[in-house]
Amino acid sequence: MDIGDIKLYVDDRPDDGVFRVHRKLFSDAELHELEHKYIFERTWCFLGLDTQMPRPNDFITGYIGRTSVIVARDAKGGLGAFLNACRHKGALVCRTESGNAKYLVCGYHGWAYNTAGKNVNIKDRDAGCYGESFDADSHDLIPLPRFESYKGLLFGSLCADVPPLHEFLGEITALLDLAMDQGPQGMEFIPGRITYTYDANWKLQMDNGNDYYHLTSTHPSLMAVVERREQARAGNVEARQFDWSKRFTQQGGMFTFSNGHTSTWLNQGQPENRPIFATLGEAKQRVGHTRAEWMLKLRNLTIFPNMQIADSTSLLIRTFRPLAVDKTEMRVWCLAPIGEAPEVRAWRLRQFEDFFNVSGMATPDDTTLYEDAQVGFQAQGLEWLQGYQRGTTAVVPGPNASAAELGMHPVASVQGPYDMQNETCFHAPYREWARLMQAGATGRKPYGHKA
Amino acid sequence: MSQAELGKDVVLREAAYLDERRWDDWLDLFTEQCEYWVPSWLTEETLSTDPQKEISHIYYANRSGLEDRILRIRSNRSPATQPLRRTTHIIGGILATAITETDMQLRSSWACHVFEQRHKKVNTLFGHAQYRLQRRGDTWLIAAKKTILQNDYLPSMVDIYCI
Repeated sequence: MDIGDIKLYVDDRPDDGVFRVHRKLFSDAELHELEHKYIFERTWCFLGLDTQMPRPNDFITGYIGRTSVIVARDAKGGLGAFLNACRHKGALVCRTESGNAKYLVCGYHGWAYNTAGKNVNIKDRDAGCYGESFDADSHDLIPLPRFESYKGLLFGSLCADVPPLHEFLGEITALLDLAMDQGPQGMEFIPGRITYTYDANWKLQMDNGNDYYHLTSTHPSLMAVVERREQARAGNVEARQFDWSKRFTQQGGMFTFSNGHTSTWLNQGQPENRPIFATLGEAKQRVGHTRAEWMLKLRNLTIFPNMQIADSTSLLIRTFRPLAVDKTEMRVWCLAPIGEAPEVRAWRLRQFEDFFNVSGMATPDDTTLYEDAQVGFQAQGLEWLQGYQRGTTAVVPGPNASAAELGMHPVASVQGPYDMQNETCFHAPYREWARLMQAGATGRKPYGHKA
Repeated sequence: MSQAELGKDVVLREAAYLDERRWDDWLDLFTEQCEYWVPSWLTEETLSTDPQKEISHIYYANRSGLEDRILRIRSNRSPATQPLRRTTHIIGGILATAITETDMQLRSSWACHVFEQRHKKVNTLFGHAQYRLQRRGDTWLIAAKKTILQNDYLPSMVDIYCI
């Protein structure tokens, strides 16, 4: 392996039916440093939802890779995004994850900014004997080079050379719409902070979010609990969800997209066990019959590099942010229609806690296995991973009939019985990983060329 | 023992039974209608107050949710649960804050040391808890437990025996 030819870490030979990923993608600290430089710092990353900041001077903080970022609604109601670092000595200006403040004041030397990022006070400036060159500099918070939103989803980029957000998302917007159009009054994050870490590489979460193959072996303990609720009406029926055993008879598939985005889907045999079911009539009138019916299917999306939407039990948005090659920070939010009926909202919460919480009964089994994999990645005899091949002969280029229903043009599609538990959905993210890494390593801009 | 001492005894047993993996004894400490709640933090300063409108780390309106947990542990089919983490709860600061003939309220401070055997990791979760006990004959049972988790930047996983 040669770090100067990074694309070789993804063995991608479609004509030979080969797609392999090298274990060093998950375990090599040198490669990981380059991921920050060439991926996280050169593409769009998800920062939050506009409805988190309903009032003037509301702000949230988050991260793009290792960079702390402020997103704020200014006094006039406009949204902006800035580096969360004081121009004076670099200290964090906002020290909480959310808040409301007319002025953002650094705690260290007291420099103050308004919520549009403009410096409004340099403490004791007049007596400071500053020279002309200081006065000539801007002292405002540094705005992110790019900051845009799609249907309330806020994204920022530390690099100006990225396509417009809408173009970056491309055809997967058809699937984003199925999440963001569920409420007639828009969507919101249900209050409550769920943040956790696991001791393994960030791409384990990237894969697992679209991985149907692991469910029967990783989560049988939860399946046993759900089955008992369903059949014996015993246990915590307040968190009732579909019976997992019924999914094995369903049709499903995947769509991959440009710029590394991917998705998987599965028909849902018990649509009445979805919180959206009660208001589906309203949704049909608003978005049409076909799109509303698609809201009932299980859908998992990855917006490369590190944001996912899972609409499986309840509706989740998550980010997975590398803290090190072998440590990842997870933030998860429960996304819900604004104005949802109280009893549906409570049911949605119980589903979310049961399945998605790290204190729930599914996610702990995932995080534990990520950590097992991270140990395994140290095995010096192990080179290529074989977990990217299921479904290879089922791939069709472009849209299939299911994509056409949504008027969507993915790069590739797969459809078939659940048992296929397709893994070609992972190809798009790793192709994009290789493309961006190679572009960085060879001194090219991240977008506007093909590898 | 005084009634307050009997209440304190329940709080200590609740922790000890988890550490000793006496799952049935642990479940028997709760009433069937007990509310078991681990609220999330809304912000750095504010704890959530309404489990019907805000996310909880865990919320069960009755004991059936706890029974689900034990079923899962005993299934031997949960990777996160095999081998089971070794835990030691340290309980202190128990105060009976209200006592009547039939009801008692207590608060405790707790720390739970967790050893994850698979990856040889140790972590500690800590916080305080509020108990509402109901008298059943000569004994007291837990009718509600609210666990405040102070360090909610959570390491890898949390289960009922880690808090």
